[in-house]
Amino acid sequence: MSKVSQKQQGKDLGLTLCPSCQQLSVYKKRHCSRCGSVLALRDDSSLQKSWALLITAAILLIPANIYPITIFTSQGQTRHDTIFTGITHLVDLNIIPIAIILFTASIAVPILKIVGLTIYLTAISFRLPISKKKLMIGFHIIEWIGRWSMLDLFVISITAALVNMGQLLDARPGPAATAFALVILLTQVAAKVLDTRLLWDRLESKDDSN
Amino acid sequence: MEYNCADSSVTLCRSCDLVISKRALPSGVRALCPRCHTTLYDTPYCSINGMLALCLTALIFFIPANLLPVLELHFLGSIRTTTTIEGAMAVANQGYWIVAIAVLVSAVIAPGLLLISVLTQILIIKYRLNVPFFREVLKRLLRFHELITQLSMLEIYMISIFISVFQLTDYTDIYLGMGTFCFAMLFLVTLFLQREYHIEHMWNIIDE
Ligand SMILES: [Zn+2]
Repeated sequence: MSKVSQKQQGKDLGLTLCPSCQQLSVYKKRHCSRCGSVLALRDDSSLQKSWALLITAAILLIPANIYPITIFTSQGQTRHDTIFTGITHLVDLNIIPIAIILFTASIAVPILKIVGLTIYLTAISFRLPISKKKLMIGFHIIEWIGRWSMLDLFVISITAALVNMGQLLDARPGPAATAFALVILLTQVAAKVLDTRLLWDRLESKDDSN
Repeated sequence: MEYNCADSSVTLCRSCDLVISKRALPSGVRALCPRCHTTLYDTPYCSINGMLALCLTALIFFIPANLLPVLELHFLGSIRTTTTIEGAMAVANQGYWIVAIAVLVSAVIAPGLLLISVLTQILIIKYRLNVPFFREVLKRLLRFHELITQLSMLEIYMISIFISVFQLTDYTDIYLGMGTFCFAMLFLVTLFLQREYHIEHMWNIIDE
């Protein structure tokens, strides 16, 4: 393997991985010989798509946090809980572990994801001198924790089906639920569509060692 | 600069496109990209019969896990129960159909499709791979495998069942149903199945 130097990229050799079956292919062939998918050296439009999805998600994060996500009735009294007041209510009831789990899944993770992806996309778009290795580790974390935000929606659906006894005891989702579901969906897709190889092409090579 | 593709001693990193020379790995070890730490490959080994057994077990639990109640609520002498699907329907009936679709897809449809897809793949490999029609089916299933895996969120649903129990115990009595047991078993068996299953190994079988 003397020809393969330390920092050589597949693009320089005219090689690419098949996007669906990960087989090494010569780019000139245009289609993967194993599964027939269309080959691409880079997906340049993925950056724009990712930005568009991310900005939409960031905007939807506002209604997701302002409007009530659950409407709970107990003995004639109705509470409208936003994500945040729902969690403080759990703290008041002294159910701290659940409060921590829901805080992480519903508030910390979505915000971390949006901030993280914004840093990531800005670094690619404006060639910021941030360590690529750190960006990539952050990106893997974002991809992995993102799905845990679904937790709150599952809890809402279980509670709403179980607890409906009119004025005595009743739980139902509030308008923030749809916005929150879309935030999870859009951020997840934004991370998925991005061609991360662009990061390694665009930033200065001196950051490589970081 | 051109490169001969038949050379299988070289691979690329899917995240950063670095050229990497492949080396033989001891079993249970993963190769990571030296530049960006993405998982590159591991020693692909899976036992087809073991996976078949796990897959059938999971399918046996799948139906009761979705049809039997996962939670029971006892309140002033009356009993309410809910299944996963009823939970989704309850939100849909109140107009939150995006939430309902998200719940249905990640807790019922994607896990179900995943099991059926893996079962079909195993049966094709075990019995009649050489027919072109089945090869084509296998290729299609493998191409959709990653998407289905990402959509399937049994582990998150499992935890949300327990969170609901804790949240509601303050107001009323909550009991776990038979469905909870089946759901937990479905989750565990699927977890083991996914640990056994290696998509690279499946693709390699097509090559042979
Ligand atoms: Zn890499």
